[in-house]
Amino acid sequence: MSVLQETISEETVRELSEARDEPDWLLETRLDALEALDDVDFPDVIRTPGRMWTNLADLDYESMVDPFSQTETKEWEADEGIDVLPFHEAVEHEESLVRDAFGSVVDPETNHLTALSTALFTTGTVVYVPEGVDAEDVTIRTTMNGRSLFNYTLVVTEQSASVTILERQDSGEDLDGARYYSGLTEIVGGENAYVQYGSLQDLDQTTYNYQLKEADIDTYGTVDFIDVNIGSRLTKASVESHLNGDSSESKMVGAFYGHEDQHFDIDARVWHNAEHTTADLVTRGVIDDEARSVYEGVQNVGAGAWDTNSYQRENTLMLSDESEADASPKLIINNHDTEASHSATVGQVDQQDLFYMTSRGVDERLARNMLVEGFYVPVLEEIEVEELREDLTERVRERLQSRD
Amino acid sequence: MSSDQDQLKETDTEARFEFKKEEKSAFEAEKGLTEETIRVISEDKDEPEWMLERRLRALRQFQEMPMPTDWPGQPDLSEVEIDEIVPYIRPDIDTRGGVDDWEDLPDEIQDTFDKLGIPEAEKNALSGVGAQYESEIVYQNMQERWEEKGVIFCDMDRAVQEHEEKVKEYFMTKAVPPSDNKFAALHGAIWSGGSFVYIPEDTTVNMPVQAYFRMNSEGMGQFEHTLIIAEENSEVHYIEGCSAPKYSEFNLHSGGVEVFVGEGAHVQYSTVQNWSKNTYNLNTKRAIAEKGGRMEWISGSMGSKATMLYPSTILKGRGASDNHITIAFAGEGQDIDTGAKVYHNAPDTKSTIESKSISKDGGRTNYRGLVHIADGAEGSSTAVECDALMFDNESTSDTMPYMEIEESKVDVAHEATVGKIGDEDVFYLQSRGLDDDDAKQMIVAGFIEPITEELPIEYAVELNRLIELEMEGSLG
Repeated sequence: MSVLQETISEETVRELSEARDEPDWLLETRLDALEALDDVDFPDVIRTPGRMWTNLADLDYESMVDPFSQTETKEWEADEGIDVLPFHEAVEHEESLVRDAFGSVVDPETNHLTALSTALFTTGTVVYVPEGVDAEDVTIRTTMNGRSLFNYTLVVTEQSASVTILERQDSGEDLDGARYYSGLTEIVGGENAYVQYGSLQDLDQTTYNYQLKEADIDTYGTVDFIDVNIGSRLTKASVESHLNGDSSESKMVGAFYGHEDQHFDIDARVWHNAEHTTADLVTRGVIDDEARSVYEGVQNVGAGAWDTNSYQRENTLMLSDESEADASPKLIINNHDTEASHSATVGQVDQQDLFYMTSRGVDERLARNMLVEGFYVPVLEEIEVEELREDLTERVRERLQSRD
Repeated sequence: MSSDQDQLKETDTEARFEFKKEEKSAFEAEKGLTEETIRVISEDKDEPEWMLERRLRALRQFQEMPMPTDWPGQPDLSEVEIDEIVPYIRPDIDTRGGVDDWEDLPDEIQDTFDKLGIPEAEKNALSGVGAQYESEIVYQNMQERWEEKGVIFCDMDRAVQEHEEKVKEYFMTKAVPPSDNKFAALHGAIWSGGSFVYIPEDTTVNMPVQAYFRMNSEGMGQFEHTLIIAEENSEVHYIEGCSAPKYSEFNLHSGGVEVFVGEGAHVQYSTVQNWSKNTYNLNTKRAIAEKGGRMEWISGSMGSKATMLYPSTILKGRGASDNHITIAFAGEGQDIDTGAKVYHNAPDTKSTIESKSISKDGGRTNYRGLVHIADGAEGSSTAVECDALMFDNESTSDTMPYMEIEESKVDVAHEATVGKIGDEDVFYLQSRGLDDDDAKQMIVAGFIEPITEELPIEYAVELNRLIELEMEGSLG
């Protein structure tokens, strides 16, 4: 089942690492990941009798991965008082910080694609928010220009620090053939720290996209995710929170809009590992044309997680008859002192709402578009970064207007 | 509390299921599963050649299929060694296909069913009864008025002989092919006993028919097959009950159920399963509903060590509908993995799934369900509701629904909640003078009431009684 080609080799990894003047520990981590490639599986996908919801293993990674042509343009914006550094600068200036945190949240050997990403990544960002610092907006913009790009983001917050981050990806010039984007994000949520990590994925529709974003959350800490997927040909994106400290919280908000032949496989998972923890998972998605969406939400309540509150909602709106929506919201409960619920719905634009609007003189197409925009309101309300809120609204509007 | 409840208290429920009888048999197959075993069983039953061939083909499929091990969170089946199972035991009775008078049964078998209360129920509330002991039906009877209307309710082995054409057409060909899963293949190879039910057009059988399956011997497997054919606009309610005394070795129950719901027909299939806690209960149950047909599955899973059971309905004709109602109760050492599968393959089809589960003393319940709405099944709707109640911190309660929606003009909703038994509720009831046990039992009874109220009164009472028994152990 090897997807390795000539260029994904020990030599390649050594060359990438040497060119960036990396310390030995990092090179070793990359080489370990490379070695593990054949031993670890592809990310879990749901299978039911006769159906596999997303087929990752059969993708032709060989034709998409080109380790030496990873080019991108990147912009960083941040307040003063915190460090937002390109990854390799951070390794140079804050080596012990990076070394301690790297791989502590996302195990590079989680699966085949995380291992590949760790072995080959060439760019990334480290956000460090010291104790007590309140950093309003951090923005990281990445434009992918080459055949493939492996990106890495590390967020470390000290006690009582606070930060709001927007990380976005889009594509530069068109290329012939398929492209591959892979991004890993690790968030270390300190005691009583607050992080909102928003992400807007707007890659072009020839790109296969894999992303894993994981947070460890300490006592009284909060890490909220806003995960927005608009672009790519196929996306497998997982957002995962580990509530490790007592009274920690996580809100996991997702939005997607798939059209044409896009395929989104979106996962949201939370582990309640401590007492008095709260999680709230909200995902809203629209699918149109022949697009296909797959959603898996998992609420894991550990045996020691007394007094847990855990909620999950997922709603999918189907705009076209050729689209397909699969959903699986799961509850795994090992402590009875838990209040947990989940719900999922799939349906169309509500006919009564539409009738109401048209009876008020609103043209049907406009009425429908307004209702679809309105469908995202519960997600929009959670977004603190204006740029993300506006761009999501804008991209949804564009797609709706391009419908006939 | 009602007099029903009082009456329950006086009944020693445990004794009703736990008694053992000396193992006596006319014919017992060797342990394990070989072509030779299959041939011997088939010959002992004097089966036609085509049935033997089906058995042998199923055996080959069984041997080729791997054990299911890759389902997320599935029960541990590593103990299930097919080669340790005694697949076929013919009890020591003269009449093949079952006697029609309880008095004609050997004393210990008659006593078994007396204790289980079957003859009593027959007199009061049933149109017909089949009773299986080990691998064969030992008693089979139906009220004459149904026979006159052309209703058939007989032992499955007899149906192979007497209704060969129908059985040949429907038996494991359309609903549950042996290739469906490893245990369906196993079932196809060594099935024995079970019921054949045929309801002619426009016939409503207004009192339920019941089959009761009893395993008495240690280390045996029971593999009964139930085939129900309900023709256009007919109606029937079929009830199955199961139990076995507990042994140290494992027992295996792997039944197969196939239901054909004709146009406008209505079939209700109710199960109260109380297998002993050394039994692996791995069944395949499936219904196919034609235009306007209605299928109802009502399942109470109380017993067994591990259960994997997902009754399925294929809504094949326009406007067909399905209702699933399941109650699972897992106590110490039990893993009850159950749920439902519904395929909406035609327009305007409807399904509702209601699941209630209770776990305590380290037991595990899991709702595992699949709803598939095929492209073109427009105007279909499905509503799934799962509620779980947990008693303590050693127990586990999982919910794993899967929804596959290929059609946009549909209405799909899934909802689930999990919670503990509320301290405040218990406190309130205690302040009204109930003791802790009674308070908790009352809360559980209230929790499952939306489901028990759908059951015929006898079965609601039975279910409550079983749950009460389950709860006594740790609360008392």
